[in-house]
Amino acid sequence: MSTLAGWPPSGAETPVVAQPQTEAELDRLWADPPGLWGQLTGVQNDKIGSRLMLTGFFFLLLGGSFDSLVMRAQLAIPDNSLVSPQLYNELFTNHGSVTMFLVVLPIFEGFAILLLPLMLGTREMPFPRLGAFAYWTFLFGGLLYYSSTLFQLVPDAGWFAYTPLSGPEFSPGLAIDFWVLGLGVAEVGAIAAAAEIIIGVCKMRAPGMTISRMPLFAWAMLITSFMILFAFTPLIIGSLLLELERGFGASFFDPQKGGSSLLWQHLFWIFGHPEVYIQFLPAVGIVSMVLPAFTRHRIVGYTWLVASMVAIGFLSFALWAHHMFATGLSPLVLSFFAAASMAIGIPAGVQIFAWLATIWAGRPIWGTPFLFVLGFLVTFVIGGITGVMVAAVPFDLQVHDSYFIVGHLHYVLIGGVAFPIFAGVYYWWPKFTGKRLDERLGRWNFWLLFVGVNVAFWPMHRLGLMGMPRRVYTYESGLGWEIPNLVSTIGVLVIFAGIGVFVLNLAHSWRHGEPAGHNPWGADSLEWATASPPVEHGWSVVPIVRSRHPLWEQQELERGEERLERFVRALSEWPLRWRAAVVVGTADARPQEVFRVAGPSPWPLVAGGGVVLIFLAELVKLRWAAAVGALIVVVAAIAWNRPSEPPMTTEEEAEFERAHHVAVNAGGSVVISRWGMGLAILFLAIAFASLLLSYFYLRLENPVWPPPGVAAPAVTRTAVAGALLAVSTAVVRTAVRRLGRSQQRRFIVGLVAALAVSVAGAVVQTWDLASVGFGLGDHAYGSIFFTLTGFLMVVFAAAVIMVGAILYWALRGLYTNRRWAPVSNVARFWDAMVVMWLVGFATLYLAPHLT
Amino acid sequence: MARTRLIAATSLHPQSPVAEAIADLWWLMLVLGVIVFLVFAGLLVAGLRRTAPEPSEDRAPHRRLVARWIVAGGVAMPAVVLVVVFAATLQAMRAVPASAPADALEIELTGHRFWYEVRYPAEGIVTANELHVPVGRQVAVRVTSKDVIHSLWVPALGTRVDMLPERTSTVVLQADRPGEHHSRCGEFCGIQHTNMELIVVAEGPDDFAAWVSSQQRFTEPTGALAREGRAVFVGARCVDCHALRGQQTAGARGPDLTHLPGRRTLGAGLSPNTRENIADWITDPQAIKPGAEMPTTPLTPAQLDALLAYLEAGG
Repeated sequence: MSTLAGWPPSGAETPVVAQPQTEAELDRLWADPPGLWGQLTGVQNDKIGSRLMLTGFFFLLLGGSFDSLVMRAQLAIPDNSLVSPQLYNELFTNHGSVTMFLVVLPIFEGFAILLLPLMLGTREMPFPRLGAFAYWTFLFGGLLYYSSTLFQLVPDAGWFAYTPLSGPEFSPGLAIDFWVLGLGVAEVGAIAAAAEIIIGVCKMRAPGMTISRMPLFAWAMLITSFMILFAFTPLIIGSLLLELERGFGASFFDPQKGGSSLLWQHLFWIFGHPEVYIQFLPAVGIVSMVLPAFTRHRIVGYTWLVASMVAIGFLSFALWAHHMFATGLSPLVLSFFAAASMAIGIPAGVQIFAWLATIWAGRPIWGTPFLFVLGFLVTFVIGGITGVMVAAVPFDLQVHDSYFIVGHLHYVLIGGVAFPIFAGVYYWWPKFTGKRLDERLGRWNFWLLFVGVNVAFWPMHRLGLMGMPRRVYTYESGLGWEIPNLVSTIGVLVIFAGIGVFVLNLAHSWRHGEPAGHNPWGADSLEWATASPPVEHGWSVVPIVRSRHPLWEQQELERGEERLERFVRALSEWPLRWRAAVVVGTADARPQEVFRVAGPSPWPLVAGGGVVLIFLAELVKLRWAAAVGALIVVVAAIAWNRPSEPPMTTEEEAEFERAHHVAVNAGGSVVISRWGMGLAILFLAIAFASLLLSYFYLRLENPVWPPPGVAAPAVTRTAVAGALLAVSTAVVRTAVRRLGRSQQRRFIVGLVAALAVSVAGAVVQTWDLASVGFGLGDHAYGSIFFTLTGFLMVVFAAAVIMVGAILYWALRGLYTNRRWAPVSNVARFWDAMVVMWLVGFATLYLAPHLT
Repeated sequence: MARTRLIAATSLHPQSPVAEAIADLWWLMLVLGVIVFLVFAGLLVAGLRRTAPEPSEDRAPHRRLVARWIVAGGVAMPAVVLVVVFAATLQAMRAVPASAPADALEIELTGHRFWYEVRYPAEGIVTANELHVPVGRQVAVRVTSKDVIHSLWVPALGTRVDMLPERTSTVVLQADRPGEHHSRCGEFCGIQHTNMELIVVAEGPDDFAAWVSSQQRFTEPTGALAREGRAVFVGARCVDCHALRGQQTAGARGPDLTHLPGRRTLGAGLSPNTRENIADWITDPQAIKPGAEMPTTPLTPAQLDALLAYLEAGG
């Protein structure tokens, strides 16, 4: 058994700046304000990241652990009456919803926000305020969801909330509204954090950390975050449709009025299946970071691992229907989804064998994180094998919604996700607390969990094959189900003991842990070069990366190409008046821009409050309050993005630029904000596409479209409105070009003209909508018609508000031909809005004419 | 709460050609899965026990490692296994009949919260929670739902199809041997999803024919007590939800109660069909199946006696 003695091969640590006082100065500059105000306005990535993780862990104890304990107690013996059928349904609904929405994702996003700046060699995440907003919305959403318990209105339709069971007829109370709206708020947070992570990984890395030198955890989070964007957005649209049906009398899922219960299943599983891999890929990232440190060998097959993660990212969107094998799809469709589901086995195989090869190539060190990685490998391979089995359609039909699936999914999610989380906590805890965890308690923790998980979930496969369905609150004796159920319950008790030891270990380390030092594991990635716990600004001197394993292969982190050396040294002592961070080229990691990172602000909290108020207003049916919430969000968004007076003159910026050939933007980044706008547009485009798909799905479900008695819409006024919108986008473009030529007046006149033309277009369109002769609640046709229209109008309103804000600031002379990034971003948004408008209304007004 | 004892529903004791094909697929996948796991576990254990050479800067062995491990183990091995499994899947899918032959027996099965309505349109039979099928003959079951999504799942026969409110789907079912098979609702449908069970009774052709004719036969009860019960059935508003042949009106929210004595269970598989259990069920169904749609019916002991006599005579 090896120890860590004589390891690592290089002792590279974070370089020290020339003058010690600049270190203190940097720390002061990057710190959040003290006290309660600092807690409410703080944006530091350490704070946001650790809060996300702690809150996720809190929800895990509440919804993951407590619920499962009660459920297993109920099922321990046949014909048990410990809990009522109603309570049992609430328990499994809550268990699934909480673990899928409020536990794993926040924990991984927390890991990412906490770790990435250190691991990538940068001082912050790109949008610290967006990170804070993501946390507040997640917290508020989770609390809103959980408040259902206080009112005895706990959701009880399963974590998948299939319609029509979750619809207004069969779930008339507010319970399902808590589910839709509470989790909806949390989903907004998940998407916000994903955008933050995408840009952070792509644009904010140490100079020299090219895309092929990026740590695998960063790769994993990058791919995961894109998947979040593409998967959670359809879910938000699905939830919107469900809430419109529940609260506003629309019908999308009610067959009586032209809807289809399967539309919900499609929207849900387009989210729901990628969600499984959204949870798994970060685990791949963590395992790929931990393994090299504990085998003393670089990961074997880096490129293969990246390719496998990308492949899983794409494939995961092509197999949602394998949750719907029994709904009556054609054999051809069935075999396609079966093949796609099985194909995932190949990238997963690549990953497993890359890790096996790494273990063979290296010399294992038996630390607790390594034990959890081994536990992960064994459990996950079993879950993967049963996963291939359930991809085989006829077998899936036999075990679908049986305990076989419960066994399979817990092997995958506990083996494939929870064990890597434990590995990650044991691995990085010393970095963030500066203290070691106890190894002996760690081994107890691991073995209790590993044994407990296998004892709890192995017998479930057998129960499923014996015909025990999921989601039953009891079972009768005499079917041979008694012993496996009892064993399973005992296993859960063992898991509990393991979690207890985990909490004990953390508490013990927090109070009495031995100091960890910079790099207790002799690991290779950048975060281990910084102090434990790290300083507020992370890096005084930004490191220069020349290797995929900088701490093993680089003697010094501040050495590199001469121009880069001068650049990073200069940046350690300049500007010292604002929070400076570096933007690099996505692929080549050459410095592109030095920009001012946003600081503490109360507005993310206010905006989060506004979002939750909108959802809360719908929940308690005080709909005017939703307008107040929307107003708060708008005001907060404007205040949040208000261009503050740059803390530096353009001459000072230019001086640094001349010396280092890197752009300086003390007013805020041009590159980062462009990416941010790009992702915002992408988000809206996905939402829009989900609505269009719903439209065409309903179209195909209804042989007569529009329904009898409704005339196909007349196109004249819509064509006029569309033409006006198209003109407005050309006007905006021209106006922006004027600003580029310093023609302020023409710029302003152009914006005003664009607003006038577009508002005229919207008025013409609204006039037409008022006379179409059907309503939201009449039929699925009217429901989807007005939902799409409403979506387009909201996007239009957002664009008008943005242009209005730009106009206001332009009148105050805030934009110059040097500082005009927000203007061009708003112009991009305007273009996107107009394209969606044209496509959307063309669909609504032309599709009914096609037969 | 004692339930009836039936053949345990289990995928591993197939009772039909489809279930056999599925069981074969399962055993094949199990063997392949065990082999894959053993290969993986062997490599893992060997790797952990092995003493690796000192790390070196030479990249050549690294490249050989990548080629050997990832290409052979990570790509080739899963690819071969998956092709075999996929081929076996297609093979097993072929065992599932795509459509029923023209002379197949037709049954209409409708899901309700929380029971099954069973109709034999050609034979003019309406019953509940029991699906009688003749052995060795293909049966076309047309499934749909009156309310939320349910799912027909007969593990022993390898049958599963979702019962959707918006459409009628057809599944072809065939039993090889006589026997009774559990079929529990396969899609979560609400508070009493747990107690929604269909019994599939596979019978020899003669037994099946006898059952059909017994269901078709109907004589109005003649005993005084039963005639009194007939009035209670109307007076206590049972008739609002339940049909019983011979009654003027026929409710459709609850099961048709004609020939109730011939059924095996009450409450969709919940309790054996005995006189006491029927009495309990009528007077306080919520105590037995909380959340079921049936309300409590307050009756005097005499009324209850009469009603039971009427139900017992009901065909």
